[in-house]
Amino acid sequence: MGYHKLLIILVFLLTVPNGMAAPVERPAVAAASDLQFALAAVATRFEADTQQSVRLSFGSSGNYFRQIGQGAPFQLFLSADENFVLQLHQAGKTEDRGVLYATGRIVLFAPHGSSLQVDDQLAGLRNALAHGQIRRFAIANPEHAPYGRAAEQALRKLGLWDALQRKLVLGENVSQAAQFAASGSTQGGIFAYSLALSPAVAKQGRHVLMPENLHQPLRQRMALVKGAGATAHAFYVYLQQPAARAIFEKFGFVVPSGARQ
Amino acid sequence: MDWSALSLSLKLATWTVLILLPLGIWVGHALAANRFRGKAWVEALLALPLVLPPTVLGYYLLVAMGGASPLGQLYEAAFGRPLVFSFEGLLLASVIFNIPFAIQPMQRGFEAIAPEVRDAAACCGLTRWRTLWRIELPLAWPGILSAVVLTFAHTLGEFGVVLMVGGSIPGETKTVAIAIYDRVQAFDTGGAGIMSAALLLISLIAIGAAYFTASRAPARRHD
Amino acid sequence: MTEGIRIRLQQSGPIPLDATLECAPGEVLALVGPSGSGKTTILRAIAGLLRVANGAIHCNGDAWFDAEHSLHVAARRRRVGYVFQNYALFPHLSAMHNVMEAMLELPVAERERRARDVLARVRLAGLEHRVPAMLSGGQQQRVAVARALAREPQVLLLDEPFSAVDRATRQKLYRELAELRRELAMPVILVTHDLDEALMLSDRMCVLHQGRTLQSGEPLQVMTRPETVEVAQLVGLRNVFRAGVVAHDAERGVTFIEWRRHRLEARLQPEFEIGAQVTWTIPQGHIVLHRRDRPSRGEHENPVFGKVVECLSLGENIVLSVAINGSERPPLFLTVPAHTARRNGIAQDVDIGVSLLSEGIHLMPVDNARIRSKPVQGGKQSQGAGKMGR
Repeated sequence: MGYHKLLIILVFLLTVPNGMAAPVERPAVAAASDLQFALAAVATRFEADTQQSVRLSFGSSGNYFRQIGQGAPFQLFLSADENFVLQLHQAGKTEDRGVLYATGRIVLFAPHGSSLQVDDQLAGLRNALAHGQIRRFAIANPEHAPYGRAAEQALRKLGLWDALQRKLVLGENVSQAAQFAASGSTQGGIFAYSLALSPAVAKQGRHVLMPENLHQPLRQRMALVKGAGATAHAFYVYLQQPAARAIFEKFGFVVPSGARQ
Repeated sequence: MDWSALSLSLKLATWTVLILLPLGIWVGHALAANRFRGKAWVEALLALPLVLPPTVLGYYLLVAMGGASPLGQLYEAAFGRPLVFSFEGLLLASVIFNIPFAIQPMQRGFEAIAPEVRDAAACCGLTRWRTLWRIELPLAWPGILSAVVLTFAHTLGEFGVVLMVGGSIPGETKTVAIAIYDRVQAFDTGGAGIMSAALLLISLIAIGAAYFTASRAPARRHD
Repeated sequence: MTEGIRIRLQQSGPIPLDATLECAPGEVLALVGPSGSGKTTILRAIAGLLRVANGAIHCNGDAWFDAEHSLHVAARRRRVGYVFQNYALFPHLSAMHNVMEAMLELPVAERERRARDVLARVRLAGLEHRVPAMLSGGQQQRVAVARALAREPQVLLLDEPFSAVDRATRQKLYRELAELRRELAMPVILVTHDLDEALMLSDRMCVLHQGRTLQSGEPLQVMTRPETVEVAQLVGLRNVFRAGVVAHDAERGVTFIEWRRHRLEARLQPEFEIGAQVTWTIPQGHIVLHRRDRPSRGEHENPVFGKVVECLSLGENIVLSVAINGSERPPLFLTVPAHTARRNGIAQDVDIGVSLLSEGIHLMPVDNARIRSKPVQGGKQSQGAGKMGR
């Protein structure tokens, strides 16, 4: 009776293929969180220049590494750690080894209202720790976020890791770490330079660039996932060109000169 | 306001309701009308998603639907893309996660019908189908409506499972709940605020409607 | 008979049953018993709502249930009219639509016409469009009856149909049912715990206790000539005593029994041996008070004397408990109108005499289970068979 009709309509609706915008036209791009502002700016220019657009997702590189490994439909991966890209290539998920698109830096950040003094040797931090002024300190999760790993390396090198460990607040990715640091619920944190340079973050506190020798270089590598379409390819190329590079530099990235593998 | 995320959320909620409506009626009615050994265990199993942390459910769903699983491989062979990180995978997760929200109110709605009324229907010569359609559904409709509304609202707000199984792919699996999370991380508090307010409003309307219809129901009960 | 309904139901659990019933077309059979005796269970089994372990049900030649052949016709396929105790009307439908639901195999126009007809028959014309919530208890009951009749059922089942209405409405409904049943050509089974109702409405009565049918017959017959002490108690006979059979006089149609040093004349029941122990009962209506103001000849019949132990006023009547021979227990119960009691000065501790009309004295076998409790010598100390009936 009435039920049979309903059933037929239902079956029909369910088998109609997902009519969302075909991913080929607007490829999904997985990007490390530190590229939050920089890549958005590049994508806007890309759209203006080429009338093509991409769908950006930001998150922790380790997370995307795992998801792409499981077949998530991203067509381009911009990792904050080149190892993730290389491993994916070894697993046969990417077209090639990809290219180094930027090298990242970390900053020590103190939100307004925090008594933490920022300096590039972290003497202020050491001092604040000694005086028990640090209750909570934010970094990205070192287990899967490259910037978190870099922060840990720097802290260990300076002998501050043990003292800080119990006070750490771990962001799921470097963006969340920046969130925690900037929001005032912590006394400070270490996160990406590119994020600290964005107006939205910069106005919430003060930061200082930390020396490169404190951590392994944050070699940020990107690669096209196998089966990527034309637009993804175009974007990949665009990212290596002067317009894009200029934007990256504006956000504090060190851009490799020329095409380097 | 991320319109694609909002429309995706609405689409997910609608589909979840469409699937759970007949399923909920069938199971809710069966549970209300029958007694059998182990019924309590069945009801507990169906209520499990209520108490299960979303991440636990997300984990098990990933294991069951992921690329290495039989289900995942079957899907990929049939459709050319993985079940996880797709809208269909999300829908499957959403249906499973909403089972108690759909079944329990419907079951209560059917239980509220005096058993003698069903007996009377049988004595009037009505088949089981006709009894369901002409007698039980009209009497249980407050429970059914409540289930529909709760399922819809709950799906709109679902986060943990969606994130684990869907992966936040814009246009495919980035629902509005995830978009809010995303905006906060991007330091876009304005965008996050607008979407949160919209979701709050929709949820409020939904739950208000559910309570309102439930309060009008007693007039229909026959004692 | 192939016409009418024949029922045999047996099971040991979950609800024990051992019932045998028959009802002819046009006959009203009252199924009587205390709460929990299985009356509703039997009705549900007849309707097909319940499946019993053993037995058979045949209606007008059709087999509805036969455990031996694993046959069980579903309720919807038996043409049964069932009036539930709480009516079970469909609350979302009007009276008219409630009745129409029973005739779904007919086209709509036909259904409407017949629904109107049957509703008029139960005197609900004009109220067809009301939903149950807008109808009084008595009106709802009539809709339930109309719905049951609309299907032109092969048997009509009524489950305590009058229990939920007030007394005044009940009187009205009794009359209406009495009129209605003259038009009904099908067997009607009426379940009730009210003996008066059974007396008033039924052609035959069946006493049920703990799932067992104990005795069937005309109501008056069952109530004055119970076959066992159990039935006597169930039909409300309070006067149940032990006695011994002394002699039979076939010419006069009398059996003599010895009870508490009295020699009583009872109705002739030669099946009991001389010298045997029996229990006997007498309805309260067959006990006549010796009236000081108006002595009558009936006083010569089985006179016994005793002292009033208790006077219980029930409005227009008074129930007396009389200790026979001054002190013996259990007492004899009788009912007298209040004005008679007044005029004769009946009160507690007063000595009175009563006559036990012999045609009312009915003998039954002794309840064997109780015989061990006290030794009985030749009909002297008779003890009532334990608990009195209501």
